[in-house]
Amino acid sequence: MSLLQLEGVSKKFGQVVVGEQITFQLEEARAIGIVGPNGAGKTSLFGIISGDIRPDAGTIHFEGNDLLKLNSAQRARAGIGRTYQVPRPFEHMTVFENALVAAQQGARLRSQHSYDLAYDSLERTGLSEFANQPAGSLTLLHRKRLELSRALATSPRVLLLDEIAGGLTDLEVNELTAIIRQLQSDGIAIVWIEHVVRALLNTVDRLICLAAGKIVADGDPQEVLSSAAVRELYLGGKVVGESVQ
Amino acid sequence: MSISPREIGSDLVSIRRTTHSPGITLVVAGAMIGVLTGAPWIFPASFVTVLMNFFILVSMATMWNLMAGYAGMVSIGQQAFVGLGGYATLYFALKGMSPYVAIPFSALTCALIAIPVTYLLFRLRGGYFSIATWVVADTAGIIIGTIALFGGGTGRPVPGFTNFSPTQITNFAYLSCWFVALVVIAGTYLLLRSRLGLVLSSVRDNEISARSSGVKVTSARRTVFIIAAAGCGAAGAVLAIAQPYVQVSNEFNIQWAAEMLFVSMIGGLGTVEGPIIGCVIFFALQQSLQSYGAWYLIIFGSLAVTIAIWQPRGLWGAFRDKFHIELLPVGYWTRSKKQ
Repeated sequence: MSLLQLEGVSKKFGQVVVGEQITFQLEEARAIGIVGPNGAGKTSLFGIISGDIRPDAGTIHFEGNDLLKLNSAQRARAGIGRTYQVPRPFEHMTVFENALVAAQQGARLRSQHSYDLAYDSLERTGLSEFANQPAGSLTLLHRKRLELSRALATSPRVLLLDEIAGGLTDLEVNELTAIIRQLQSDGIAIVWIEHVVRALLNTVDRLICLAAGKIVADGDPQEVLSSAAVRELYLGGKVVGESVQ
Repeated sequence: MSISPREIGSDLVSIRRTTHSPGITLVVAGAMIGVLTGAPWIFPASFVTVLMNFFILVSMATMWNLMAGYAGMVSIGQQAFVGLGGYATLYFALKGMSPYVAIPFSALTCALIAIPVTYLLFRLRGGYFSIATWVVADTAGIIIGTIALFGGGTGRPVPGFTNFSPTQITNFAYLSCWFVALVVIAGTYLLLRSRLGLVLSSVRDNEISARSSGVKVTSARRTVFIIAAAGCGAAGAVLAIAQPYVQVSNEFNIQWAAEMLFVSMIGGLGTVEGPIIGCVIFFALQQSLQSYGAWYLIIFGSLAVTIAIWQPRGLWGAFRDKFHIELLPVGYWTRSKKQ
């Protein structure tokens, strides 16, 4: 049985299609990358999985249970952790308190157990030295790490990462991919939206390309990137043989 | 519940809940509680009256700050529960209950009324929510004003004081105001140190992140709204005892909401100490400027605008950020046990 299973998921905002018959499965401890041009519906897909957006059609099952019956808080408690493309820290709380909210509410731990999980999530992302700082004082890199820490502190089975490497330097991207690979080897399944394709290729087992809400390619990362449909999408024009016209 | 695939070591970190020795706070608080409890026998009657009004406003403002400063719900209709608390006290007193005994029952009545009100108000957000709270307050006032038992629009005196001398009535009114304020502040402090306090701070800072962290946002807000209704109800009850007369135009006056907002804003939104500091400033200014007529309102307005622009965290918020001192700390400070 798949850990996460989407079947025919569709969503429109007025005339804008952000999801059309999206179907895929995610197995335990596997990593899927999602690429696609701006407006392809990538972040909306995360919103649908995490419960921020209700789909018009389709089903989503998590560990065999109907996810659409749960609201976003219940999905977090069930094991769906997510980060946001634009970090959304609790700015007036400390870095530790940010993670503690997730440990107490998402993972539903109490007292010392919640403190340990929150602190461990900060250690995993290299943020423990900033534990007592207000989250609003963090740099972009550290804010992105805090997004990851907070998602980890919910004790997720599936982690949805939304452009977590965007805006970072090459060195920072390398550090981040090392952290994410470690999470995967710890058994957490990952779905990662990213424009920094190099980061994805070092991490994911499978790549999905979305365009106008549809899956246009799905499979081995190298094969997807070299497919005619994806090259046409990114480079424009029609692909004839190996060249783009 | 899902389990993290990685083994988490136990006791990774130790937590402190204070920035300084709690002994200092306890000694100061103990001394203040002693002095304020004995105030009617220590201070002149005029000052005791000021303290009484001070405690009523502290109770209301602490509840308003809990809603706005921690749960992001800006109400301009909390006078609804002040009024309902006052009239509940009148009702219980008319039925033969001592007005002092009626205080907790009035608070409970307001909490019960607040439950269905949340289902109406929570459909709205931001400014619409604020305006709707005002509508609820005015509607409650209009309905109460039509009830003959309560004296209609002109109100009626609160019975139940015939067995007491005038001095006893004043002293008991003072002690009622003071104990309600003490319970409200202590209760708010304990609530903010609890898991719910952490949840409220997260909701205030970012509702969407809070939801995706597993926070049941609506449930947390509903809990706070009900608690704030009970607190304002208790404040309304002691207001009725202090007068001792209830009248719609006084109990349901929007002036209460304006004062709650003003003192919370100048003292420091989102801090336990803020509304108390704000009340001290408010009453100090009111006492020293009241002979200047309309000028005192202009000075109040100017102060509010100045603080909103240059110190949006309020005077206590700015002080706390600069000196890292909290009299009533609610946060968590970590120290790794690996060091």
